This record gives sequence, structure tokens and C-alpha cells, in this order.
Amino acid sequence: MKLISTGSQTVGPFFSIGLSGLCQQPCSPESAPSGTISITGRLFDGDQKPIPDAVLEFWSRGQFVRMAANDDGSFAANLRRPADANHFEVLIFMRGLLRPVFTRVYFHEANALASDECLQQVPPDRRTTLIAQPAKAGGHFIWDVRMQGENETVFFDF
Amino acid sequence: MSESSRVRNALLPSQPPYLYPAYVSSQKRAPTKPLIALPDSLANLKGPVFGHDFIRPADHNLTKQHSGEPLGERIIVNGQVVDEAGHPLRGALIEIWQANSSGRYKHKNDNHAAPLDPNFTGCGRVLTDNEGHYSFVSIKPGAYPWRNHENAWRPAHIHFSLFGAGILSRLVTQMYFPGDPLLLFDPIFKSIQDTAARARLIATFDWTTTKPEFAIGFRFDIVLRGDRATPMETNRP
Repeated sequence: MKLISTGSQTVGPFFSIGLSGLCQQPCSPESAPSGTISITGRLFDGDQKPIPDAVLEFWSRGQFVRMAANDDGSFAANLRRPADANHFEVLIFMRGLLRPVFTRVYFHEANALASDECLQQVPPDRRTTLIAQPAKAGGHFIWDVRMQGENETVFFDF
Repeated sequence: MSESSRVRNALLPSQPPYLYPAYVSSQKRAPTKPLIALPDSLANLKGPVFGHDFIRPADHNLTKQHSGEPLGERIIVNGQVVDEAGHPLRGALIEIWQANSSGRYKHKNDNHAAPLDPNFTGCGRVLTDNEGHYSFVSIKPGAYPWRNHENAWRPAHIHFSLFGAGILSRLVTQMYFPGDPLLLFDPIFKSIQDTAARARLIATFDWTTTKPEFAIGFRFDIVLRGDRATPMETNRP
């Protein structure tokens, strides 16, 4: 028997009512506990306007962190760096997305990027959209997400 | 690209496209470049596991979260969560949120001129039991206007967020109510092209869970995608 999976629908603009319970408390690189890293960034739409009504989920083995975007389209997440990977899987939900986008965020300093099996599938000129850049402070990475346009973030088949 | 990859990469008919121009918000937010296929070995990430201590007593009864009872038609929503092979998914976390009976969300950005209900927040959580069943008590949400097009109204709906076995099982959807005339005019509902799949987003009136003198039952069953490495091949000619 093969059933048909239930159709996806948008989270809409008011998802925080239902999804905030599992969201990480608002945080910043300065508030990151020792042993954790921070990923901060902003989300932009096709007009390069910030997206305030989005929610991001960072997945790695044994770790799940959900973070809602702020009113200015920025986000900040404190995470444990995955022990077995150079990246997080990221699901992003927002008003306007009928189903989530699936992307990845890699760490710039990782030596293994050149041979990464997944990055090999990505046209070279688009790979940078998946790589978080180190900020001045150690353990802080910056990663912006662009839904459309010249530097559109790479999204994976989901 | 292998045969199985091509099948996998085709948009499942039960799923909406990213760009659906009638849903105006999708126009500037839908990805425009082709999606990239992930190698099979990289896509099996397991999901978080949530225990019962995570659920508070009133989480599955949205009418008992305040000192008084909310206004509106009391409903009992129940159903079963299974994977594509029909296996029940136990311990699956369901998060729900909805408008109140007047069609107003308890959210700072909802400025629809309908009253808030001091006895209704509109959010809940529930875990499926050993047979994949869930149930919660709420009130029927109202329809509400939005600015997508001229005289646009969202049909009454309850938002559902579900975690299955892994990241590919993750689902956010909306449950609608039978007989709602607004469904035919709703681009979010209609974004799912397959009419049978679309119809499965509409709950059915459920006589068996309707409680005399108390609440009307609705049934809403959900199918989550399985592990992508296994399912597609079995059904192919």
C-alpha cells in the first residue's frame, strides 16, 4: 500500500501562536553559552525587503533548534556545532511559502568543503550562498538568506 | 540521474508549488532557481523526539486554558497519523494554532476588527498515541478577511505542524471544515492541484466522536512522507 502524503499549506503570518513554544528564546552571539556557536543573519524577499514573518529550523544529528525571525527580518540562533557534519540542515517556513524551503548552512573555515558531496551538486557560483562567514568574534557566523534574485540562496529538493 | 531520482524530484501531486501567483505573497518569496537534488545518503536525518513531559495538561484542550470558557461552537478534532505505507506513527508531536470563533488571532499583527476572546489563545500541542491517534478539544474558528485580492476571505481552518520520523516527514498544513463555500475562492487551498489531495485537507463530520450535549466531532487523518530512501520503488510498474 502506498498512501499519498498530506498536502502542505503555508504557516501564514500568525504562526508564532502555535510554534513559539518550541522556539529558542531570543538570543545573541554575546549570550551564547560556552561550547556553542551563533548563527545570525537576515532574510530577504525578491524585492530585497527583509522578511519578518519567517521561522527557521536548524537540524543536525541529535539537535533541533527553532528560531523565529525578528520584525526587521533578522534572526539569531545559538547552537552546538555538529560533531559529525560541517553544516546544519535548515527548514524555513514563512507566509508566502506554501511548503517550506530546505537548505543548508556550512561553516566557512571547514577544510572539507571542497570535497563535500552535497556542495559538488551545486553550481560553483552559487555555493557561497550556503556558507556562513565567520564574524570578528569567535564562534559567531553570519548567514543571510535570499529567497530570489541574483544571489538567491540554494534550496534543495524536498 | 537515476530513474528513482527523477521520480523523486517531480513535484508530488499532493503538494503545492512554491510559486502560485494567485497567492500573492508567493510571488516575491518562492524560489526561482531550480532545486538541487541531495544525494540519498545525506537526506535521512532523524527528527527530534518529544516526551510526554513536554505536553501540559490543557495543551490538548483549547477551551480549558483560561478561567472561563471561550465563545463558539465546541469541537473535538481527532484522527490518525500514518506514514505512506499506512503504518501508524506514535509519539508524533502535533502543534496546532487557530483564530477564535470571531475569526481573530491572538497575535499583535492581526488587526481584523473582530473581538478577541479573553478565554481563548488558540494554540495547543498533542502527541499521537501508540496507534497514531490524536484528539483535541477546541472551538470552531471563524473565517476572516485578508488582503490577497478583492473581498478575500480565508475559509475557517486550523493550522497543523507535525514531526514524523525524520526531516523529510516534517509537515505544516491546514485543516478545513466540510461545506465551507469559501474554499472555492481560496488560493491557498487551491494551490494543491490534485483535487482529491486537496479534498483530503477537509475534515469530515464524525458522528462517532460527537459527544451528545457537548461537542461536534471532526475527523482529520494525516499521511506523512517516509524515509526517501525506501518508499518510491515498491509502487512502480
